[in-house]
Amino acid sequence: MVQELNFKKRGEDANVYIGNKLVSPRITGICKFNKRQISSINKKGGEKAMDLRRIRVVMIVSLFALFMFAYDGQAKQETGFDDKEIRVGQWGPQTGPAAAWGNVARGSKLVFDIVNDEGGIAGRKIKYFIRDDQYNPSQAVAGVRELVEKQGIFAFVGGVSTASCSAVQGYLLEKEIIWISPCTGAATFYKPFNPYLWNMWPSYENDASVIAKFAIEKKKFKKIAMFYQNDGYGLDSLDSVKYRLSKKNMELVAAIPVEPIESDLSSQIQKLKASGAEAVIAFVGPKQAAIAVKTSVSLDFKTQWMFSYNLSDYEMMNKITDGLWAKEGVITSAFTQEPFAKNELTAKYTAAVKKYAPTERWSIFYMAGVVVAEPLVQVLKKVGKNLSTKAVADELNKIKNFQGVGPKVTWTATNHMGPKSVQIWQCGPKGEIITLQKWTENEISRD
Amino acid sequence: MPVGQLLIEGLAMGACYGLFGLAVVIIYKTSEVINFAAGEMAMFSTYIVFHMLTVYNCPFWLAFLMALVFAAILGVLVQYIFLRPAKNPTLLGLIVITLGVEMLLMGLASWKWGAEGQAFYLPVSYKVTYEPISGFIVSEWAMAVFITAAVIMAFLYFFFKHTKLGTAMRATQQNKHAAKIMGIQTDMIFAFAWAFSSVIGVIAAMLLSAKAILDPQFMMEPFLRAFAAAVLGGLMSVPGVLIGGAIMGLLENFFGYAWPAWKPITAFVVIVLVLCVRPSGLFAKHYIKKV
Repeated sequence: MVQELNFKKRGEDANVYIGNKLVSPRITGICKFNKRQISSINKKGGEKAMDLRRIRVVMIVSLFALFMFAYDGQAKQETGFDDKEIRVGQWGPQTGPAAAWGNVARGSKLVFDIVNDEGGIAGRKIKYFIRDDQYNPSQAVAGVRELVEKQGIFAFVGGVSTASCSAVQGYLLEKEIIWISPCTGAATFYKPFNPYLWNMWPSYENDASVIAKFAIEKKKFKKIAMFYQNDGYGLDSLDSVKYRLSKKNMELVAAIPVEPIESDLSSQIQKLKASGAEAVIAFVGPKQAAIAVKTSVSLDFKTQWMFSYNLSDYEMMNKITDGLWAKEGVITSAFTQEPFAKNELTAKYTAAVKKYAPTERWSIFYMAGVVVAEPLVQVLKKVGKNLSTKAVADELNKIKNFQGVGPKVTWTATNHMGPKSVQIWQCGPKGEIITLQKWTENEISRD
Repeated sequence: MPVGQLLIEGLAMGACYGLFGLAVVIIYKTSEVINFAAGEMAMFSTYIVFHMLTVYNCPFWLAFLMALVFAAILGVLVQYIFLRPAKNPTLLGLIVITLGVEMLLMGLASWKWGAEGQAFYLPVSYKVTYEPISGFIVSEWAMAVFITAAVIMAFLYFFFKHTKLGTAMRATQQNKHAAKIMGIQTDMIFAFAWAFSSVIGVIAAMLLSAKAILDPQFMMEPFLRAFAAAVLGGLMSVPGVLIGGAIMGLLENFFGYAWPAWKPITAFVVIVLVLCVRPSGLFAKHYIKKV
């Protein structure tokens, strides 16, 4: 027997079942059912309709929850470590034009080798990755992305070259990855404040100011000139020296720029000579520093050369200047301890070099790698088992007067600047370090 | 402005550029290939001298002579291994091959001697200076540069004008196939040109590194300037290249003194202006376009 049901007419326009089979509510018009079917509809229709309403609610709630969860997922997820290892990375020029500074990244490895040999930190070993950027910012970006996205990195240490560090700075900030510290004193790494970047290197501004102060107050030089690399490194320093001199009502007798690619500096040195400068404060790279000193000798220009801490590796500088670094008694600032200072920590590291890296030279740049790795290890030890980016960041923000073989640093939640102090050294006649002035802070720092 | 001193320093650096420019020109004169590996070939041979001086403690002149021999062999090898096997090469293809050789040599030098700079010594020092006239300080190094450049220029001028080999090299450059028909062994000529160029290159590189430092990249910038000097003088003219180098050195020094910030580009701007007026350079006799 067939009975006709007009859904629309009877208002039963939803949730009609035939047995367990849902007949779409959108079915309108006249459908024909037999008695058994009508009975099934009458029996199950009401409760099934209720169930579907519940399902709808559950689905909406689930979608909302999914949305909320997805949103939360875009925020920081803890990566870069597990129960067995903590992954730390660094990039640096292992080959290419600045490969001489590749030992910075290898210096950091020394610290991690020591830690791992001592059993790791809270049961975790430090797995350390180095990527060769060939002193090329685009290579640095590629290396850092590969490390972050394929290896999963908890923290970065070091990083040579202002350009390479600038190139990856935005990416690391976006990923909220801890970074201690770019191996440069350029202002771009502390202005504006970056909550995930902690600076270990004195700013070039502070460095230049302390050197200028020493020249004026200790050496009593009246005629000071500046020889600077025509980029952020040199220009920050030039501005700082001018500011320092202005406090004493003095002016530079000459300010000569040089491009990093130049290898003939005779006209620049002649200009410095013509200025009658008693001292030349120079913020240039090692190669140009060597050529500048050589050229000044060949042009019979007698002056006191004073360089930034980037040139405080006297052994290397003596080698490339044919001993002129010592003969001319070059003065530099310094941001590390003396490489062979007589103390327990230095003895520990020099012994470790013999054990873990016998082909490496324990030098300033190698030490720079140690300097940037020390605070991370210190903080990881404090955090222990409960490792997270936040926990490490919080501990880094509490660091006060921490000093390894580098400068003394203090960081807070709102200040991640490098130290404001440097030492003043002079290269002695045998290439030895003569400390002319202990750690001195730039008291007129504008940072 | 210390005119006398700027003149001496400008001419000395210019002579170095000119001398090195000759290494570029010699290959160009025979094959019209610009050898972008010239700087690194010279750098590598300079490292050989350095190695013999510092590791084997050879007397300088022995190391020097052996480096010349090595440079000649290196030149022949580069031509024989990398350029000769190229099938139906275009000029651009050959130039790209020289760029590859440049990278290879730089990598090899970095691997063997490290990327850290080294001091390179010559028996003539930049530290020993004389002042024959007030305001004119001349170092032994500068005197050595002047003498070397003059001797090499005179030799090359004589060689290309008055020797059979020199004439054969010029003939090969003008028309390789015609030269071959006339009995010139052009493959030999190419190999000789590469050897010859490499030898002159290492002499220039040794002079330059004694004033600067020795590292695997030290010839990159001088190569650019030497190439520019060669273009300025006219890529076909031996005296033109040296005069181009001198102009380059003087321009850099005088402008560099007056406006230090503009020093790196001044000479190149002048060269562009000159080439706008004389596209084949100042001293090229005529512009030959091959079809």
